[in-house]
Amino acid sequence: MGRYLLRRLLQVPPVVVGLLVLNFTLIHLAPGDPLYFLVGEGGDESYYAAMRARLGLDRPLPEQLIRYLAGALTGDLGRSFRYNEPVLALILGRVPATLLLSGTALVGSTLAGVWVGTVAAARPGSFLDRAADALSGVLAAVPGFWLGQLLLIVFAGWLGLFPVQGMVSPRLTGGGWALLVDVAHHLVLPAGTLAFLQLALTFRLTHQSVRETLAEDFIRTARAKGLPPGLILYRHALRNSLLPVVTVIGGHVGTLLAGAAVVEVVFAWPGLGRLLYEAVLTRGYPVVLGIFLVVSVMTVFANLLTDLAYAYLDPRVRYA
Amino acid sequence: MLAYSAQAGCVGARPCGWAAGNRKAPGTSLLICKRDPTPLYFQGRRHSRSRNVKGLSTAKEAQEEFWAGFVPLARPFAPGHAPRLPVSTHPGGTIVVAVTSDPGQLNPAITTAGPTHVVADNMFNGLIQFDENLNPQPSLAESWGISPDGRAYTFKLARGVRWHDGKPFTAADVKFTFEEVLLKFHARTKAGLENVLAGIDTPDDYTVVFRFREPYAPLLRRLDVVEGPIVPRHIYEGTDILKNPANNRPVGSGPFKFVEYVPGDRVVLGRNDDYFKPGLPHLDRAVFKVIPQPSTAVLALEQGEVDYLWTVPGPDIPRLQANPSVVLAKAPAGPGGSFCIDTLIFNLRRPPFDRLEVRRAFAHAINRRQLLEQVYFNQGRIATGPIASTMTWAYTPDVTRYDYNPDEAVRLLEAAGYRPGPDGKRLRVTFVHASTYARTAEVIRDNLGRVRVEVELVTLEFNAAVERVFVRTDFDLGIASYCNGPDPEIGVTRMYVSFNIKPIPFSNGAAYVNPQVDELFARAATTVEEARRAAIYHEIQRILPGTFPYLWLIETEGYRAFRKDIRDLRIWAGDLLERAWREQTR
Repeated sequence: MGRYLLRRLLQVPPVVVGLLVLNFTLIHLAPGDPLYFLVGEGGDESYYAAMRARLGLDRPLPEQLIRYLAGALTGDLGRSFRYNEPVLALILGRVPATLLLSGTALVGSTLAGVWVGTVAAARPGSFLDRAADALSGVLAAVPGFWLGQLLLIVFAGWLGLFPVQGMVSPRLTGGGWALLVDVAHHLVLPAGTLAFLQLALTFRLTHQSVRETLAEDFIRTARAKGLPPGLILYRHALRNSLLPVVTVIGGHVGTLLAGAAVVEVVFAWPGLGRLLYEAVLTRGYPVVLGIFLVVSVMTVFANLLTDLAYAYLDPRVRYA
Repeated sequence: MLAYSAQAGCVGARPCGWAAGNRKAPGTSLLICKRDPTPLYFQGRRHSRSRNVKGLSTAKEAQEEFWAGFVPLARPFAPGHAPRLPVSTHPGGTIVVAVTSDPGQLNPAITTAGPTHVVADNMFNGLIQFDENLNPQPSLAESWGISPDGRAYTFKLARGVRWHDGKPFTAADVKFTFEEVLLKFHARTKAGLENVLAGIDTPDDYTVVFRFREPYAPLLRRLDVVEGPIVPRHIYEGTDILKNPANNRPVGSGPFKFVEYVPGDRVVLGRNDDYFKPGLPHLDRAVFKVIPQPSTAVLALEQGEVDYLWTVPGPDIPRLQANPSVVLAKAPAGPGGSFCIDTLIFNLRRPPFDRLEVRRAFAHAINRRQLLEQVYFNQGRIATGPIASTMTWAYTPDVTRYDYNPDEAVRLLEAAGYRPGPDGKRLRVTFVHASTYARTAEVIRDNLGRVRVEVELVTLEFNAAVERVFVRTDFDLGIASYCNGPDPEIGVTRMYVSFNIKPIPFSNGAAYVNPQVDELFARAATTVEEARRAAIYHEIQRILPGTFPYLWLIETEGYRAFRKDIRDLRIWAGDLLERAWREQTR
């Protein structure tokens, strides 16, 4: 197991460097210029040239790449053109909001999806089975921005149950419990939207996997031994059904930081996904590259964790 | 010896110092404007900084008290320009302003980007500020005068102004700001003044003289907080201006002080109790909340989570108009751009738009009324030429108009030799546009299809569209929002003068060359007397629709929306909140 872990960890640095080069090339292939947004309207040629030189954008692309790689490998991801701040600080500043949103959604969608999927699979043809199946089909097809706006209009606009936007009420001046309650109140709709979007996939995978497992011989044996149905379902069937679900959730963890961009934009949630969205629009190269890097590293480690979870769930992997 | 403007209070249709009928004292060129007294509560000339406004039992008493502080300077002019007095005696409270984009940094002197100015302009001042007709009013400069030859502007600065850190404001701050910050980093001010300004002198701590190589007319309109915000020398001198930490925690002189900036979420400002304009500001706190999705912002306004929207999406206008808690107001100007015209750019570098008949045919084929109603939801008006009709002093309606007339378009295209081919099409053109113009582009494609012109839409994200049209010039038709700015010299000239055919955004994208127009724009810039300048701009407006380098589609006039208990917002200016107050505090 230790050697397996070590081997996987040694694969990380070359993968990250490869990703850095790829990301750098891709963002610079996109048409546009960071100065259009940075300078605003009405600049003359000399101003553009001076600003380009200041930001190092006048250097040949390979030179820019080498400088960037040299910086990134020592932990310096550059400085945001727009925010006048180190990119790493900017990214770390947004991580908590995104982790709160995505983490809540991931936990919620996983618990709900696995539970409903398992229960529905145990009662094939029941109302719950058919209803959950139909609803998951709809949710899987719904675009995030549409669902978000729908929930906004109904629950924030018509019913007035939740705030429309943001993470904290703009008029709130205190902290402590009031702040906690306020954040939780703001969290419900965006996290709900994101959870609904993930729920469909988790449900369908669990549902399918549990159904297949329930048809296995060892389940028949367990039933023949007279084990209680609940024990068979949750201890034997569910555990053996979780491998594909873990794979999908692992994939979600990888994109946890940037995958909520659409929901963050709709709900004005001040997270990393929105930072990425704005950085792409304004061609904030260092910020885009920084977020790509963080997400890439997250994905690499999420895959690693997924493999370790496999080993925990399936002894065949562990002892292979 | 000084002479006073007949338009004391500067509430006229013309800027002070240019008003007809001014009585000039012999031997001097200095004309004095008195501070605009609009909705202030004062007792005498200096008001205590506390928020109490008691002691003035009636509006009339308050008015008399107000003018008493200006005797003898203002009394002769008071009756005609009585200040509007607020009905509320409840200063304080918080206002939440929704902004669509994060400001990034908060120094308005190093960028012309709207998202920065929308927020930061409330923390700074220019030498002047604009009234609702965009006429210059005193701000950091109490008064000014122009030399007879139009080459020197002398400004007398307000005394007792302090930066938010308590240091005094002086003429040295003005000189430093222009020489070391604005002329290096503020794109429009740099482009406009760099080659014409001969120098800035500060004979004493409260006098600034701008000297020009030639007579220069538009200076006053370049000095508000959007075009010429003044920053503190003691904070910036000797530092790397663009990397100075104060850009993220600004120290200004404006009505509000910086409190907090949470990138991506909000900027919080607090009342400046030492503001140099007596009785202002009224509000305690201002929160600029970043809400990128316009529909979310509208919902937040309806729910009372925010109080003010800079822009309202067209489809939401009827809903907000029906909402009794919300006020909708039109504003032709603002920190995001003033007097803007959505303009179709013909690429004159290549066929078919190198031919005037084709450009005229397109003008007849495009139904701008339909665009106005169906795409712009009547937010604006059909443009007639390069200068917006709301810039009344420079605009003339006396121009050739090209109404929607597909038959005439067909006739012109036939005359130009563009007859339908085997596939039924006369010609094919590419129309490069940002995705924000998708609906406009579809209507134009439909209109042109009716005269058998095939339009290939190239829809790009904004940044990519700007590069394709202005830098790579790889397009037949393009579209952009060109803003006139507070003066035609700032925003109009760049589109038509031949020396501005350059690979930079919002330059002369059509590549239009007309020596006569070049000469007229140069003359307008150096003609100080406004009536003569206006005549030159009228002439330009008569020439351009005849040669048609662009098709001026719609003068956009954005709606601002705000909760009805908020008053005296300066919706046309950067310093939106300087005089704002709420009927009830929250």
